[in-house]
Amino acid sequence: MKKPNWFTSRFEVINAILIALVSLTTAFSVWRTNMVGSLAADENRAGLIDAVKSQSYDNENYRKLYQEAGFSYQFAVKEAEVQALEAGDSLEARDRAANMRQYLLPNMQLLAQPLATDEKYRKADGTFDLQKRFADMQNEVQDDPDPTLAFARADSYFSEQRWLVVGSVLLAISLFWLTLAEIGNERLRMLEFAIGLGVYLFGVAWFLGVEIVFLFLR
Amino acid sequence: MNEPAASPVKEPENKEKYKGLIIVLTVLTTVLAAILAALQADASIRADIASRESQYYAIQISGELHRVGLETNYEFNVYGEYLTNLQEATILELTALEQEQDGNTKAAQTSRELAAVSQARATLGEKFSIFHTDPRYAPKNEGDLPNAEQYLIDLNKKMTELLAKQNEAADIYDKWDGKADSYVTALTILAVAFFLFGLAQAVKNARIRLAFTGFGTVVILFSLMVTFITLLG
Repeated sequence: MKKPNWFTSRFEVINAILIALVSLTTAFSVWRTNMVGSLAADENRAGLIDAVKSQSYDNENYRKLYQEAGFSYQFAVKEAEVQALEAGDSLEARDRAANMRQYLLPNMQLLAQPLATDEKYRKADGTFDLQKRFADMQNEVQDDPDPTLAFARADSYFSEQRWLVVGSVLLAISLFWLTLAEIGNERLRMLEFAIGLGVYLFGVAWFLGVEIVFLFLR
Repeated sequence: MNEPAASPVKEPENKEKYKGLIIVLTVLTTVLAAILAALQADASIRADIASRESQYYAIQISGELHRVGLETNYEFNVYGEYLTNLQEATILELTALEQEQDGNTKAAQTSRELAAVSQARATLGEKFSIFHTDPRYAPKNEGDLPNAEQYLIDLNKKMTELLAKQNEAADIYDKWDGKADSYVTALTILAVAFFLFGLAQAVKNARIRLAFTGFGTVVILFSLMVTFITLLG
C-alpha cells in the first residue's frame, strides 16, 4: 500500500496557513495602496496651494507693474509739458516750466521709480519697457513655488497606486485558487495549490517590484 | 414464498450539499470585488487628476482676469488722456484764432502756448498708447478710430484658451467621477451577494441553500451588468 508523504498528509493545514498568509498580505497591500493614494492626494493639495501662492505673486507683480506704468506715464507727460513750456516764447511760461522742472518733476519721477529712473527700462522713443520690468519683478521673487513639481509627485504616487492595485488583485486571485485547493477533490487540488502559490509569489514580487521601481523613480 | 414488498427507503439528505459551490461563488465574488475595486480606484485617480487640472486652470484664469483688467484699465486711460489732450489742443487753437480775430493778441498767445502744451502731451501719449503703436490696432487711415475690438479679442485670447481647457478638464472629471460612483454601486451590490452566500452557508435545508445561492448568482450577474455598462459607457 502506498503511504502518503509528509506534504499530502498535512496538505489542508499547510494550505490553511498559506490562505491566512495571503489574506494578511492582501490586507497589507490594500493598506499600502491606500497610503500611496493618500500621499498622492496630499501632493495634489500641496500643488494647488503652491498654484494659488504663485498666482498671487504674479497678481501682485502685475498690480505693481501697472501702478508704476501709470506713474511713469504721468511723469513722461508732465516732462513733455514742461519741455513745451520751455520751448515757448512767453517768459511767464518759461518761469512756470523752470519751477515745475525743479520741484514737481523730481517728485513725480520718484513716484515712478524704477521705471522712470533706471535707464535700462527706457526705450529709444521715450516710453518704458514694461515687459523687462515685469521679468525683473518675477526674478526678484525669492520663494515663488512651482506647483508642477508637486503635481508631478502626485502623478507618480497615482501611478504607483494603480500598479499596487493590480498587485492586490493578483493576491485576491491567488486566494481564490488556494481556497479551491482547500475544498476541491484530491485529483485537482495539487494543481490548484500550485497555481494559487504561483500567483501569490508573483503578486508579492509584483508588489515589491512596484515599490522598488517607484522608490528609484522618485 | 412471497417476499415482502420493498418499502421505499428515504435517502438521508446530504447536509453538505451545494456548500462547495457556495464557497467557489463566494471566492469568485471576492475576486470580482477586487477587480471592481481596481476599476474604481483607477476611475477615482483619473477623476482626481482631472479635478486638479480643472482647479489649476481656474486659478490661472483668475490671474489672467486680473491682468487683463489692469492692462485694459491702463491702456484705455492712456488712450482717453491722449484724446482729451488732442481735443484740448484743437479747441485752444480755435480759441486763439477767435481771440486774434477780436484783436486780443496777448490772450491769443496764451491760448496758443496752452495749445502747444496740450499738443505735446497728446504727442507723447500717442507713443504710449498701444492703439497707435501696434499696427494690429492702429487706425489705418487719418480720422479712423483704433481697432479696440480686435485689441480686446487678442487680450482675452489666453483667457479663452484657458477657459476651454478648464471646461474640458471639468467634463473629464464629471465622466470619471460618474464612473467611480457606478463602480461603488456595483461593489455595494456585490456586498448583497456576499450576504446571500453567507446565509446560504448558514441554512440547513439544501433547497433553501440552493435558492439563496441562485439569488446571490443573480445579484452577481446584475453587478457584472452594471460594471460592463459603466466600463463601456
